[in-house]
This record gives sequence, structure tokens and C-alpha cells, in this order.
Amino acid sequence: MRTLHAAALAVLGLALAGTARAGQELGQTLPQRSPEKVYASTCGYCHGHNVGPIILGRHLPADMVRYMVRHGRLGMPAFRPSEITDAELNALATWVEKALRNEKESGK
Amino acid sequence: MSGQGIGGGINRRGLLGAGVAGAAALAAPTGAGAVLAPGVSRADLASALKAMRAVVGNEWVAGDADAVAPYEKSYVPDPGGRHAPVGAVCPASTQEVQAILKIANQYRQPVWPVSTGKNMGYGSTTTAAPGQIVLDLKRMNRIIAVDPDLCTALVEPGVTYQQLRDYLDEHNIPLWIDVPTVGPIVGPVGNTLDRGVGYTPYGEHFMVQCGMEVVLANGEILRTGMGSTKNPSAWQAFKWGYGPYIDGIFTQSNFGVVTKMGLWLMPKPPVYKPFVVRHKQVADVARIVEAMRPMRINNIIPNVVLMMSAAYQLAMFHRRGEVTDSTAPVSDEAVARFAKQHDLGMWNTYFALYGTEAMVAENERIIRGAFAAIDGEVMTAEQMQGNPWFHHHATLMQGGLSLEEVGLARWKGNGGGLAWFAPVAPAKGSETQGQIALAKEILGKHGFDYTSAFAIGSRELHHIIALLFDKSDPAEEARADACYRELVTGFGDRGWASYRTGVQAMDLVAQQYGTANRQVNAAIKQALDPNHIIAPGKSGIA
Repeated sequence: MRTLHAAALAVLGLALAGTARAGQELGQTLPQRSPEKVYASTCGYCHGHNVGPIILGRHLPADMVRYMVRHGRLGMPAFRPSEITDAELNALATWVEKALRNEKESGK
Repeated sequence: MSGQGIGGGINRRGLLGAGVAGAAALAAPTGAGAVLAPGVSRADLASALKAMRAVVGNEWVAGDADAVAPYEKSYVPDPGGRHAPVGAVCPASTQEVQAILKIANQYRQPVWPVSTGKNMGYGSTTTAAPGQIVLDLKRMNRIIAVDPDLCTALVEPGVTYQQLRDYLDEHNIPLWIDVPTVGPIVGPVGNTLDRGVGYTPYGEHFMVQCGMEVVLANGEILRTGMGSTKNPSAWQAFKWGYGPYIDGIFTQSNFGVVTKMGLWLMPKPPVYKPFVVRHKQVADVARIVEAMRPMRINNIIPNVVLMMSAAYQLAMFHRRGEVTDSTAPVSDEAVARFAKQHDLGMWNTYFALYGTEAMVAENERIIRGAFAAIDGEVMTAEQMQGNPWFHHHATLMQGGLSLEEVGLARWKGNGGGLAWFAPVAPAKGSETQGQIALAKEILGKHGFDYTSAFAIGSRELHHIIALLFDKSDPAEEARADACYRELVTGFGDRGWASYRTGVQAMDLVAQQYGTANRQVNAAIKQALDPNHIIAPGKSGIA
């Protein structure tokens, strides 16, 4: 029952892969995440929720985003390739550079 | 004493104690000041890294300064620079962990396992002793099994709480997770192994752990509890197995590398009702502890009772300069003024009720009676609409994901210094005032603010002190280091020893627990890891 359920969701996940994040299935490693998902799962918890400065809509250069993620700066943690892969980081950096401001976010 | 215990050979503990001065400097490849582990040559390190590349692939070994940089990031005081690792290796499977430990034994090159490496304020991916390669298990991020009937999961070390939450949501499984304060970027294995806590009724994480897979230093695989039986059926259902219960020796230790762990998950309750109770005086915390201890022991309140000081709460979302202009430790009066403006008490006691409407209503009646007797102002979600602190704790107490407490690291400016000091006492009101006075005395002597919380787990009282400092100021970092050490010994002398600490003070905290305890740990270490290649220095075990 559970297996069938998981299989059906896996098919659904594939169908959605082009437009939304692909989910994780049992026994599988985390698939590559979209920049939106990486931002929501990591960056946005601080940069949109009362902790760090707002970064969306500021057109921060992609190279700067890459550097900050890997090295951290002052109060910001550093994130390793094992946490955010190089491929995810490249896509994230480009996305952050182009992203519009999200009015629902509150920065500090 | 010798951490080498009964095994003879070189005295690694002595060498560890000598630290930087006693070890050979490593020129350049991993940055200035990098230091080798005792008895390891540059050639050994290079050979070990080369062999590890053959196991995991070039891209998953960090051996140069740029690649190691993310592993050096730390919030704890490290004025001597002795906690930075010399490399990192990222296996993708248990088999690769076995191969890496074989290489570590061959070259006597110690490795420092981390699960997600984000225990901010305890050291992140830095190491207790110099010269170690981080064994970064984050790529091992498989959710192996979830049983919606038994409400259990089996996960690898790299699984974050975010991943587990996403999996449950995407598969419409009505189970909660229980998170520490940095839930999105940390995971159940690492937090449980460090005996961390969360805020739902499943908050004592080691209590709800069930079954482990451990790679021992000799490469053998041990499955604890029911996991080593033929065709194991109850690995995640029954904790104890048969014979000595050994899961505990793989927590806060360096006796093996945990590559899978089972945990229990809480069914989503029909009703969840969070509360905060405000008190106006610092001294009120004694009365709160007395009132809440029976509520925790008889489980009228099923989750941890968290008493947040106004100063801690303010430090989450505000900068020090907003509260005081003085460089002296912030006064209770200044905190009280600012707290009042932001709808906070001097103590803000958070807890929640879970269950059916009738259960919650009956327990609420009992609890309101207890707080009425000690002048507590009991507030609900409806009354605290828009209050960011209430929203934060209401999120945590239902296993919600948040990183808002990372803001603490910015209280003293942008420098990002944070070290948790967490002594334990019995849950009695009489234990509070002496601790507050001692903390203020030691922190004040070194020029730091008292930003704290108390938490009643069950019969114990945790005093959680965030030592907040400007890590970008070397003089302040050195003062923070000295202050932390004095906190450990000052509290230790009074019988209030830490339940957990960061890489900068592991040996010092171990000293508070006495010689016999250390000798037993040393004997187990010698038996299981005779070459001392797994995380020497962890919890003061060489």
C-alpha cells in the first residue's frame, strides 16, 4: 500500500520536475534542488525572517553570492558543497542576482 | 591521568593537551597556522587525502585552503586558532565510511565525524584537537524508512529536519518532527548524538532514538538494539535489545561513526495550544520553577518548560545598541524598559498543551490555577497576535522550522560570536538565584551580558547561557575564551556541570566529571579505537 503510494507520488514528482522541485523518495539521496527551494530551505529563514539583511531584489552579483555562501561572513554561517552543491549554488547565485524583492520578507 | 588508559603506547592525551605548541606546523596547503595531529607527518596527511580521493572522488575531498574554508567557520572562541581542521572528506555511503576509517588507521590520521556540521555555538565543523580531517557525512542524506503506523523513521546522518519535514508533507503523513532551534540546517542524527533537545513532547531526542548502525574504527558494522538479530523486524520499535544497552556510548563520544539512526515521531495531535506566561521580576524564576516542576513530573505539561529571560529574547531580534549605550554589561533596568515596550516580561515562560479539546481544557484549568498563585500573566496565541517572540516559540513547540535564534550572534554587532554554556541543576527554585548571581559575576568580570534561559526537562533544570561576543575583535574573542573557561570551572565547583559543550572546552568540562569517569571512557576508547583515529578530543576523550 505504502509502496504503491510512494510509486504514484514518484511519477507525479517526475511529471512536475520541470516546474517544481522534485521530492525525495525513500532510500534515495536528495535530488538537486531548484534555486527557489534552496533559498526557501536555507537562506530565507534568516534573510527573510528578522535575522539577516534582505538580499532579494538587490541584484547582488552572482560571484558575491557564491563567495558569501561558501565562506560565511561575520554572523552568517558558511555552507559546504555537501550541503549546497556547486550546481545548486551556481543556479542559486544567478537566481538571487535576478530575483525581485519579496514584500513579505522582513530583514534585519 | 593518561587518556591512553590501559593500552600503553604514546600518550595522546598529553600530546593533545600540549596543543599547538606540541605539534608540528603544517606549511601552507590548508592555510596559515594549520597544525598536524600528534605523530602524523605532512607526508602521512598527503597520502591519507590521496587515498581518500580514490574512495570518494576528487571533488569530495577538501585539501587546500579554499576548499577547507567552509569547514573553518565557527562561532565559538578560538583565539589560538587550534580548532580548524586540515581537510575534509565527504563519503556517500557506509561502505565509503569503512574505507575512509581503514585509511585513517593506516596513516594514523584522525578524522572528525560531523552529520550536518551546524551545531552553531558548539563548534560547527571545527575540531576539538588540531590536525584532523572532517569526516563530513552530509552527503549521506537518505531517509531509509518511515513507518506511518508505528510512527518511526530510519535516517542517515546528513538528513536535515527540513528534508524529513518535506518528505512527510509531500507524502501526506500526519507526523510531527521535533527540532532544535536551528532545525532547517541540522538533523536528527547529529542532534541526538550530541544529546540535543527540542520543544515538543518528543523534545528529549535521545529518549526517542531507537536503533543505530555504527561503523567501528576497525571497519566492522554494529547494529544496536534489535538491529543485529536475524531478519530484524523491531529495530525501530524496541530500544533495548538484549544485554547491555550500548547506544548511549555512541552519544557525545568518539567510539564509532553512526551511519544510520532510528527515531520515533509524534502523531499530529488534534489540538495544539501554545502559551506564554509573563513575570516582571528577575527573582520570579524561583517561583516559576517550583510551580512548574510538578507539572512536568506528572506530565500535565508534556513539553519542556522554557523560561526565557527578556535579555535573551531581545538579543534574538534586536541589537545591543538599541537597548543600551553603555559598554558595561547591560543592566536589568535597561532590559526591563526595552522588554516592556515590546510586550515581554523579564521571564517569558513558554509551554504548550497537546491532545483532545477536553484534555487541553482540563490541563489549562490546572495550569492557570498554578500560575494564579504566583502572579503569572497567562497569555494565549489570540492575545499575542503579532508578537514575534511568541510566534517563534509557538513554531518551535509544534516542531516548526526556524532559524530566528541565529540572530543572537548579531547582538554585539556583526561579529558573530556565540558559545553556549549549559550547566545542569536539580529543578528546584532554590537553585536559580545562586546561578544567576554567579553567572552575572563571571560574565560581568569579563565584560559580557547575561543572556539566558532556564528549562525544566523533567526533574532537571538546564541553565542555558548564550555567551555573545564580537568575534571580529581578537581582544574580545580572547576575553570570551577566558570567560567561558571560568564559567565552566566556577559552576563546576558548585556542582553545576555542563551537559554539553563546544569544541573549545571539551577537555575542561570532562574534568568536572572526575577521574573515574574519564578512565572508563579512556578504556572503552582504547578497546574500540586503539589508534585513536576517530575524533580524539571529543568530550575530552583522547
